[in-house]
Amino acid sequence: MTKKIFKSSILASVIVLIFGMACVLGVLYQYFGEQINGELKKEAEYLSYGVEMEGEKYLEQIDEQDSRITYIDENGNVLYDSMADEENMENHKDREEFLEAEETGFGQAERMSDTLSERTLYYAVRLSDNSVLRVSSTQDSVLTLTLQLIPPTLGILVILIILSGIFASKIASHIVEPINSLDLEHPADNDVYEEVAPLLSKIHKQSGQIRNQLEEARRNQEEFRIITENMQEGLLVIDAYTMILSGNSSVWKMFQVWEPKIGESVYSLDRTEDFRKLIERVLEGEHGSVLLRIDSEFIHLIANPVSRDGKTVGAVLVLMNETEKVQRENLRREFSANVSHELKTPLTSISGYAEIIQGGLVKEEDIKGFAGRIYKEAQRLIQLVEDTIKISQLDEGANPYEWENIDVYQVAKEVCGNLKDIALKKNVHLFIEGHKTMCRTVRPILEEILYNLCDNGIKYNKDDGTMSIHITEEEENVRIVVKDNGIGIPREDINRVFERFYRVDKSHSREIGGTGLGLSIVKHGVTFLGGSTGLVSEVGKGSEFTVILPKDGKKE
Amino acid sequence: MATRFERQLEELHVQMITMGSLCEKVITLSAKTIEGEDCVKEVFDTDKEIDAKEREIETLCMRLLLHQQPVAGDLREISAALRMISDMERIGDQAADIADLSRFIDKNCAQIPDEIKKMVEQTVHMVTESVDSFVKSDINLCRKVISDDDKVDEAFNKIKEELASLIHNNMDVKVGLDLLMAAKYMERIGDHAVNIAEWVEYSITGVHRNNEHQLGGN
Repeated sequence: MTKKIFKSSILASVIVLIFGMACVLGVLYQYFGEQINGELKKEAEYLSYGVEMEGEKYLEQIDEQDSRITYIDENGNVLYDSMADEENMENHKDREEFLEAEETGFGQAERMSDTLSERTLYYAVRLSDNSVLRVSSTQDSVLTLTLQLIPPTLGILVILIILSGIFASKIASHIVEPINSLDLEHPADNDVYEEVAPLLSKIHKQSGQIRNQLEEARRNQEEFRIITENMQEGLLVIDAYTMILSGNSSVWKMFQVWEPKIGESVYSLDRTEDFRKLIERVLEGEHGSVLLRIDSEFIHLIANPVSRDGKTVGAVLVLMNETEKVQRENLRREFSANVSHELKTPLTSISGYAEIIQGGLVKEEDIKGFAGRIYKEAQRLIQLVEDTIKISQLDEGANPYEWENIDVYQVAKEVCGNLKDIALKKNVHLFIEGHKTMCRTVRPILEEILYNLCDNGIKYNKDDGTMSIHITEEEENVRIVVKDNGIGIPREDINRVFERFYRVDKSHSREIGGTGLGLSIVKHGVTFLGGSTGLVSEVGKGSEFTVILPKDGKKE
Repeated sequence: MATRFERQLEELHVQMITMGSLCEKVITLSAKTIEGEDCVKEVFDTDKEIDAKEREIETLCMRLLLHQQPVAGDLREISAALRMISDMERIGDQAADIADLSRFIDKNCAQIPDEIKKMVEQTVHMVTESVDSFVKSDINLCRKVISDDDKVDEAFNKIKEELASLIHNNMDVKVGLDLLMAAKYMERIGDHAVNIAEWVEYSITGVHRNNEHQLGGN
């Protein structure tokens, strides 16, 4: 803008200056012409006195260089000429200035001279004897005079142009300065040229709009970020070149990378074949899903292509951690397999014995023994079914159990009483340590828990071993520790013994008896009562089960 | 917007990751063939895929070198990639060789020394880590792979001794030799993993291990 203002002002001043100079020169030219005319007149008058007094001789003695003097008689014959030879000159009778002078006493003319073939100014005076004295001067001298003025004029012009340049640049920057120092953040607060005001108000309006739009965009982004960041599921957006455009923190957690990998290839997260195939497929425009295994986690990946104008430009990947679901499914599958297996074994024996008896192949006295075996297996079946029912009841958690205040010590004593016979048979000594400890709980479940723990303690014991129950009251909980010095549980099995049908020693389970559901019932029961279980065990030294129950029942 | 050159570099990166994961797959499969699983055909197929990938990446590298005239880090990455793919291709070939050998071994899998299984595990782990180090540009992982090679070498020596004594104790000599060959191939795969790691290190630092003394001398 400064440049523009500078250019236009300097252009204007240069034009004006040149025009002005030309005018001045024109005026001067005119002035010099008149000046020369005046001089010619004066000269002619002076000369006419001289010629009147002395005649033609006077002219001859004058050494005149600037102007040309011609003396013409009344008939137009040239008597004297200061520049040309009078003998050869034509008759001047019909010359304009001569005629005029003959008529009015003096004459003036301006024309191309035939003699000198130049533009010439003439002034003629009629003398008393009717002859005419003419003085002439070429216009050249006017031009020469004017031309002589041109160099200084040009010098002045250059100086003036330089000066006007300096002023123009000063003025331009002065005009622009307030515009440059405009505060565009607050356009309405500026106080500059009124021509700028509409522009400023427009800017003000637009900056307000832009601010609003920015704010809205930021809010949308923030909203999106909050939504995606708080999602349990991973969300990943990639472009058509497999580069990650965005992803939420769940994704990085699932793939176990500690910093966002935005801008890198999605293959740097996982490069297993399933994953690559899925990405390739989705970038060809197909939906797809796959179950990935990352370490011990199962990630369900759903991929959706993003297309624009019929071309796939990227993909949105949703990742869900389905470890729990897969594990639960596995557990359920295992459970049903186990249940059917456990149910089938006693049934096979029952059916086998019954078949032999039916075939009449058994002696009368053996039937009793067979019936005993059938009975035993049936009992086992019943117990198994009962246990399964118990577990599923606890699983449901919806049965209307009655919560009451019970003395845990009393319950433990009763359980021990029930188990005395079995313990005696295996030669295991039972101890109870503790005193009356009240606890708000569900009696049948507590009994079940203690029974199963003690039953295990006795079953998996050695000859002359001990099994003891320690009941201690804590501030808010009741701690029940069931300890035995039996065979113990190997380290790798400790985490699994609470699973349904899990047995440490699968080969001897039938001799020991039980359904394999005991500890599972304990675990479910304790969870139902709002407590927690713990297990410390060492092979050959024994096991220690800890059950902690809240004193005032389950906190709903 | 990324330039065409950057796009192509990224494509190279993706292709390298793909080829790396194919290598992981092929040696995991070949390890399974030793243990008696029947996936020899899959190994051969994957090996072919690796060969095709090698040519593809080679063409891409050449195109990048000729058209873009890369300098500094980019040039290092491309030249390292060119070297790495030949190592990866060798891994594929050796895995195929192992699968080939396994056809004569699998009937006697009871006799396979445990040490071989351990060695296979270590080698697979090394290849995975060397590819990982490339994917993550992780220099520490490179160095770990390079130092892990000693373990594989050691395991190979142990296997050699054990097979010698097994053969002495009436093991079928042919099976013993095949097992030894398989172990040797595994050991070679370990070496290739080290090479890959070295090239990754070179593309990150600009100094290749084998040239360090030369640079030091200058």
